[in-house]
Amino acid sequence: MEQDAQLVQQCLQGDGSAWEELVRRHSRRIFNICYRFTGNGGEAEDLSQEVFLRVYRTLASYRSAHGGFATWVTSVTRNLLIDHYRRTKRDRMTDSLDDAMPVVENKESAGRRPDQQLLLNELSSQVQTALTKLSPELREAVILRDLQQLEYIEIQRVLSVPEGTVKSRINRGRIELARILQQMGVRPS
Amino acid sequence: MIWTCEQIEARLSDYLDDAMTRNDRVSFEAHVGDCPRCAPLVAHLSKLLTSMHVMEQIEPPPRLIYSILDKTLGKREAVTGWRAFFGWFENISGMRLAYGALSVAGTFAILLSVLGFNFSKPKLADLRPTTIYRNADRQAHLVYAKGTKFVNDLRVVSEIQSRLRQDNDMPTSQEGVVPSREKQPGQTDGSKPTSPRQQNRANDLSHQIEILADELPVWAGHLSIPVFAREMFANSMVARRQP
Repeated sequence: MEQDAQLVQQCLQGDGSAWEELVRRHSRRIFNICYRFTGNGGEAEDLSQEVFLRVYRTLASYRSAHGGFATWVTSVTRNLLIDHYRRTKRDRMTDSLDDAMPVVENKESAGRRPDQQLLLNELSSQVQTALTKLSPELREAVILRDLQQLEYIEIQRVLSVPEGTVKSRINRGRIELARILQQMGVRPS
Repeated sequence: MIWTCEQIEARLSDYLDDAMTRNDRVSFEAHVGDCPRCAPLVAHLSKLLTSMHVMEQIEPPPRLIYSILDKTLGKREAVTGWRAFFGWFENISGMRLAYGALSVAGTFAILLSVLGFNFSKPKLADLRPTTIYRNADRQAHLVYAKGTKFVNDLRVVSEIQSRLRQDNDMPTSQEGVVPSREKQPGQTDGSKPTSPRQQNRANDLSHQIEILADELPVWAGHLSIPVFAREMFANSMVARRQP
């Protein structure tokens, strides 16, 4: 976290390599949030680029006292995702998720048998399908908590909502996700 | 306190996140243990969250970082002028590439020297395809001729040795069983007939080797076989005399 703050300072002084380091440290996480939210690799890539462009332009407004850089970037991402969701709501009525660009799952996982990994990859794609059926408020809460494993306090900062609302959204999101998966006939082992 | 299904659902995340007091946990588990509606939901969600927490991050496309950097820092500068001209040198300055380049250069040097290129007096004419072909052809024939000569020499030596061996294996019992006669003055006793016989045999072997040399006229000039064979025979005689 301190290293991020230091890199931000260097960026503000015009150090391009510090910015490159920041991008390398956070791009994977941001891409994952975008992909889990949209369910589409191409959109996730475009949105990730947009996130970093916005972060770069507003870097001077970042204050480390208000939370970590990662939380701040996640907050920017979330705002963009909601904007994107609202913008594309009408398009989604007609589009099918089957057109989504395939995304390569990271197959490298130490200490897991190939058959277990295969099941997990399958479940990952089923969860992805189920997530897109959740409302955006519940979806973002579940993604941040259970896929990005953020603490409640961090989610509260990202979503800018009270703690009770965060807990409630996560709880409802989880239950709804479990029910959708049950309806899909998915039984996690 | 008996909890309702609605209360179970409302506190489900607290239970799964282990954020419940001990009393609440007991009440929660008491309800779930008996409820056919809540029990499968709790079990299913518990397993689902365990799986979600170990799911791998999805690998973004490698171009993502470069796209972001291009959009934010601008396109990378195209290197021009002298920097572009010497830019390739920076790439080969690594040790691995330097070793690779050295080994390739060494291989070329060996190939060129085999093909007749004279490094002390380099000539452009040596690098012509026809010259290279002629040199390679000459080298190949030389190697073949040397190899053939070596094999034939070995054959000749082997032939000589086998003939000598045959001669040594001839029975010598006649020499041993020559009856002793009484010595007569003015006569040889004939008790040691070996020497003249061996001389005869040497002459016979020499004759045989000369025949062999006639049979193999190509090698005779190289080896001067009769002389060589006589030397071999003399050596074998010396060896036999020793106990």
